[in-house]
Amino acid sequence: MGPLDDQVLRDDAVTVTPDGLDIAVHTHWYRALPLSCVVRLDVTVDGTPVVPDVTVNGVRRTRAELADLTGEYWFTTDPLILHVPGTAGEHRVELDLGLSIPYILTGPDRRPLLSASRADRTLTARRP
Amino acid sequence: MTDTAAGLPRLGITLFSLTLEQRRPGTDLIGLIREVGARGLGPGLEMVAFQSLRGWPRLDETLAQAVRGALDDAGLTPSCLAINLDLALRPGRLLSDDEAHDYLAVQLRGAAALGFPVVRVGAECGPAVLTRLLPLAEELRVRIGVEIHSPLTLDAPPVAALKELFTRLDTEWLGFIPDFSASMRAIPGAVTDAHRAAGIPPELTGLATRIWAEPGPTMAKFGDLERRAAALGARPDQIGNLTMLLTMHGRMRPDRWADFFPHVVHVHGKFYGVTDGQDPSIDYPAVLAVLREQKYTGFISSEYEAHAYTDRHDAFDQVAAHQRMCKTLLEAR
Repeated sequence: MGPLDDQVLRDDAVTVTPDGLDIAVHTHWYRALPLSCVVRLDVTVDGTPVVPDVTVNGVRRTRAELADLTGEYWFTTDPLILHVPGTAGEHRVELDLGLSIPYILTGPDRRPLLSASRADRTLTARRP
Repeated sequence: MTDTAAGLPRLGITLFSLTLEQRRPGTDLIGLIREVGARGLGPGLEMVAFQSLRGWPRLDETLAQAVRGALDDAGLTPSCLAINLDLALRPGRLLSDDEAHDYLAVQLRGAAALGFPVVRVGAECGPAVLTRLLPLAEELRVRIGVEIHSPLTLDAPPVAALKELFTRLDTEWLGFIPDFSASMRAIPGAVTDAHRAAGIPPELTGLATRIWAEPGPTMAKFGDLERRAAALGARPDQIGNLTMLLTMHGRMRPDRWADFFPHVVHVHGKFYGVTDGQDPSIDYPAVLAVLREQKYTGFISSEYEAHAYTDRHDAFDQVAAHQRMCKTLLEAR
């Protein structure tokens, strides 16, 4: 519910690419986290759920590959780019982003805190 | 710089205060350090390594040189580097003590290379890992401080175990970093404003505030708050926001800060806003008096945290006001 949540999907988050749309996602957590800690990345575009490929640190991967990336980090000022189908124009993007906070352990069984941020915005896809 | 008289705690900033400023397009770490220097918000400078240093825990030598140079040019003194033990970075299991040691050792070396005399870890870093890190800390001449942040208090079993460890080892290289959030006298206005903006009914925030203010240990209050909030119709996500109010705002008596000594290696001057030269939610006069009595001469990093709730205030101005307040209180006769 803070200012960083308001920046997860910025006004210029969606751009048109030759094979679809790129959606830039900024982290709502104050520090870089291992990519393995991106535990929820649920996206719908115009109401249709999508399992996007993800580009971060200059490498494109499938969504599922993030879970194994324990030694690579999502830096605070870098966007995570989601690749989804779509064309130019307005799109409603709903995002449920869940970060497992690996140094904040909760409860008797010491589970990592889940920090969720939800965004629901209608944005215009622009050509880069 | 906000210098204090000899024999008193020294003041400074943690760049964590500038979390929102860091995200502004065109801003970079070196630029932030220069601005801190230009505004005189030192002399101490602390940062969160995983927030400010791209590539951490690997330290890029070019970046290290640039940071050291920028601190020097700005007249700032490296005070503390906040590092993290990411125990749950692997899905499904926690790091072993060996893995935890290695994860922190590389960060300790990085802190030394940057010139920081102290690192901050969280209380998830227990006695076994700290004991194993001690020889490296001695070799690098970097103190390891465990941050004691709300809802932890001196009486919490993990903190008591640390106090026993520090006393038994009798070493200057391990100690505490108490945070002013451990001793709060009111819920910050920024928090109740954020609840209202998020559509949390005022009666729910009022309930949480009343339970927070009741006597008794915070840890015993979570279940009571969850039950009574649910009975008033609170949704699970709203209950999460309400329990955060207990988590983030400690109720330890200010005079208990004396019990952290002689093991204090650094202090976090947490605050949520200074109004008319005073902090409405934290009893700075009482806690600073303890630091003075204990003859603490290390750094207090001004740690503005209301940015987690609002972007209405200028963090640079808030830190300046906080340092003026601390200097006035510390130097009062």
